[in-house]
Amino acid sequence: MRTIRVISTLLLGSVLLLSACGPAATPAAPAEPGPAGATEAPAEAAEPAVLTVGWLGVPDTLNLAYAFLVESFTIFDLVYAGLTTQAPTGEYVGNLAESWTHSEDGLTWTFTLKDGITWHNGEPLTAADVAWGLNAVMTNPDGWAAVSNYVAGFSEVTAPDEKTIQIVTEYPVSNMEYRLSWIYAVYPPDFEAFTGVEDLQNFTNDAIIGAGPFKMNNFDKDARILILDAYDDYFGGRAKIDQMIFQSYDSSDAMIQALKVGEIDMVLDVPPSGFAALYEVEGVKPVRVEGSYFNELIINAVPADHDPAPNKNPALDDPEVRLAIAYCLNKQDLVSVVAQDLGAVGDTIVPPNLGGGYWHNPNIEDIPFDTVKANEILEAAGYVMGSDGVRAKGDVRLEFRLQFDPDSPIYPRMADMLTGWFAEAGIKTTPEGVDADSLYVQMTPGGDFDLVLWGWGPDPDPDFILSVMTTDQFVDGGWSDSGYMNPAYDQLYLDQQQIVDREARRDVIYEMQRMVFEDRPYIVLYYEDLLRAYRSDRFTGFIESPIGIESFQSMLQVEPVK
Amino acid sequence: MERRAYLARKLLLALITILVVVTINFVLFRVLPGDPVRSVIGRNVRISIETQMALREQFGLDKPVFPDQFLYTLGQWLRGNLGISWSLRRPVTEVLVAKLGNTLILIGLGQVLSIIFGVALGLVAGWKRKTAIDVAALTFSLIAWATPTFWLGIILLVAGSSWLGLPTGGILSPANVGKPLYTVLPDLARHLVLPTLTLTILYLGEYMLIMRSSILEVLSEDYILTAKAKGLSHWQVLRRHALKNAMLPIVTLIALNLGFTVSGAIYIETVFSYDGLGKLFQTALVKHDFPLLQGAFLLLAVSVIIANLLADILYAYLDPRVKAS
Repeated sequence: MRTIRVISTLLLGSVLLLSACGPAATPAAPAEPGPAGATEAPAEAAEPAVLTVGWLGVPDTLNLAYAFLVESFTIFDLVYAGLTTQAPTGEYVGNLAESWTHSEDGLTWTFTLKDGITWHNGEPLTAADVAWGLNAVMTNPDGWAAVSNYVAGFSEVTAPDEKTIQIVTEYPVSNMEYRLSWIYAVYPPDFEAFTGVEDLQNFTNDAIIGAGPFKMNNFDKDARILILDAYDDYFGGRAKIDQMIFQSYDSSDAMIQALKVGEIDMVLDVPPSGFAALYEVEGVKPVRVEGSYFNELIINAVPADHDPAPNKNPALDDPEVRLAIAYCLNKQDLVSVVAQDLGAVGDTIVPPNLGGGYWHNPNIEDIPFDTVKANEILEAAGYVMGSDGVRAKGDVRLEFRLQFDPDSPIYPRMADMLTGWFAEAGIKTTPEGVDADSLYVQMTPGGDFDLVLWGWGPDPDPDFILSVMTTDQFVDGGWSDSGYMNPAYDQLYLDQQQIVDREARRDVIYEMQRMVFEDRPYIVLYYEDLLRAYRSDRFTGFIESPIGIESFQSMLQVEPVK
Repeated sequence: MERRAYLARKLLLALITILVVVTINFVLFRVLPGDPVRSVIGRNVRISIETQMALREQFGLDKPVFPDQFLYTLGQWLRGNLGISWSLRRPVTEVLVAKLGNTLILIGLGQVLSIIFGVALGLVAGWKRKTAIDVAALTFSLIAWATPTFWLGIILLVAGSSWLGLPTGGILSPANVGKPLYTVLPDLARHLVLPTLTLTILYLGEYMLIMRSSILEVLSEDYILTAKAKGLSHWQVLRRHALKNAMLPIVTLIALNLGFTVSGAIYIETVFSYDGLGKLFQTALVKHDFPLLQGAFLLLAVSVIIANLLADILYAYLDPRVKAS
């Protein structure tokens, strides 16, 4: 006992003593000295400008080949550069590429690189390097699974000279600039040794080398801290800040508190519940931008005659039941209660802000919340109200499973709200939390579900979110979780990929949105706003746009408040 | 000789328990719904069916669970190889060791402090029964015991970071990451203050209540009356006669709590973004990362069993009746 007492007294004493004399944290040393040519005496050297970012995740990997999480792509955006990039205004502009042209038949694209581009190790970046990366993805699509769909239809990529890249495609590609913005140029020597899928996917690329505005300083996976330094020789001009530190938090409350007390300078995942209070905090600027993430109700749309047969309530095959379900959804209430009014009622799978608002079909008239109308529709369709308050037609009762990921901060609440509205129309739903992975396996390709709450964060070009509804994506075990199969829709999807004329492509995309809206494999509930916040008393110059205040374009402008 | 036989018997029992726990865990994880290969490939469904099959083969998931997968796993463990974490792509041993250090510092410190203060408070409250001290200590302990972990953590986090300038999360400041431990001790200590305080307050109540009721029971015994009649001082009665007997239930509680120390404290780790074993267990479970789960639960089982073994041994020392039996 005595020994224990002595040890514990020492421990307590040490903690208090050490914490009392603990120095304030200072920025991590940059990987190498500041800009060449700096001649100031050390005493006059300015304090390095370090921007500390708080987020709730951590990159799953820094290997572009199989990265999945948005955190990884946030880092890629800052460290890497692609031939093109999306500007904060929504359009695609050159990044590594100075200019580009395509042949009249739309099958050959020629890109010319900007001058003076170097990798972070100082070596010049050549057209052959870029071509190597594109060829690597084309020849090993399984290994480069994260980006392989962006080279679909590419038949040959060559580098005729040091500054020119030529891409030949099998068919005209309507969204080449968007696709190339995702396939960042990777440093070939880092990847050349990995040819097999397993080899490549076991490579974590922690010492990532790119040509973007920031270079890797340190990624400590145990401490979950990632540090980037400004790259002095960045071809677009050096960033005005010297260092970015990404610090992971497990609790959004703790992260917001860290912003309030000035421990961090910027927050990337502000929860709607904590957003409004930030307006009251001196020196903090909350940023709210129209976002593209949407939450939807998935209705099992796997055809009854599909093999394997879907396990669902057959009433869901009845279009009238699906319509009645749509009338039971009070989307405005969801926005007010769940999203705390930080979002907008949704209607189609292409959010209004995609591509600066160009692709969203504004002609779709949404189904209003009207449970009286829902009752009328079901009554007319022969679903009789039972003594237990549940409608039935013969043996088919309107009783559905309503499943969701229980870890989500919003779906359990949404499921309760929906259950209440459905009950008003004689539809009984049983909310049930199932972990995300298990739920996905159950849905695709099993088709074992009735109603599910889930969400999507679409790419900036509508191609990806439209692909989610194609038959192939369900049958082959892909992204489709509704099991929607519509040959006409599938054909339109292929068409829009190959229509180079922007307006003509938009018409096709409008029609696809209408199809999904009317067939209702998804009922889009609401679009979430993009919520961020930063210390405006310390940093200024952030570009507030749908691509986030953390985009590399924004980070190039950010500077300390003078 | 007798003590050696007692020890040998306890050790054998401990080994059998570990084997049973390992087998049950192995089965339990495999009846969980969901497909473990998804944790291997991430959520990237763009990987072809052929590649998914190849990955299954690589991780031995194509073979029958019994006996192939079970025997293979057991064989690897006997060689000291806990395998590679599917989701983190790092050796399980390396991951466990990295997090174990963090957890032991936090939970160990919290436990030691709560034991000291809890036992002392319980002792005083029991000794000064029905006085203001007793009522105050009892009220505080009951509140502390009933307080939700998450809530207390957030309150202390907000107060500590706002008024005392203590860090809101993590183990070290970014600037100190990767430096030798001895150079960053003050920073580590600053990061430990709030989570340790939370943990201490939460556990303190439990120790205090058990100690108080235990000491009250002992103080009503005849031999205490005899000791007082002999003219011993309050302190002598307490120290020589009451304390040793009253410590028995506390030893059991300490052994149980220390055993579970390695399971971490998920809530506290979450609030303070503290990278310990608790969060790792949770992540491994969500991702169906079998090697990591198995390794983590092996560690947990072994520590609980060792802690119980120590309690048995300590009991033999504290309570002569155990030795006699």
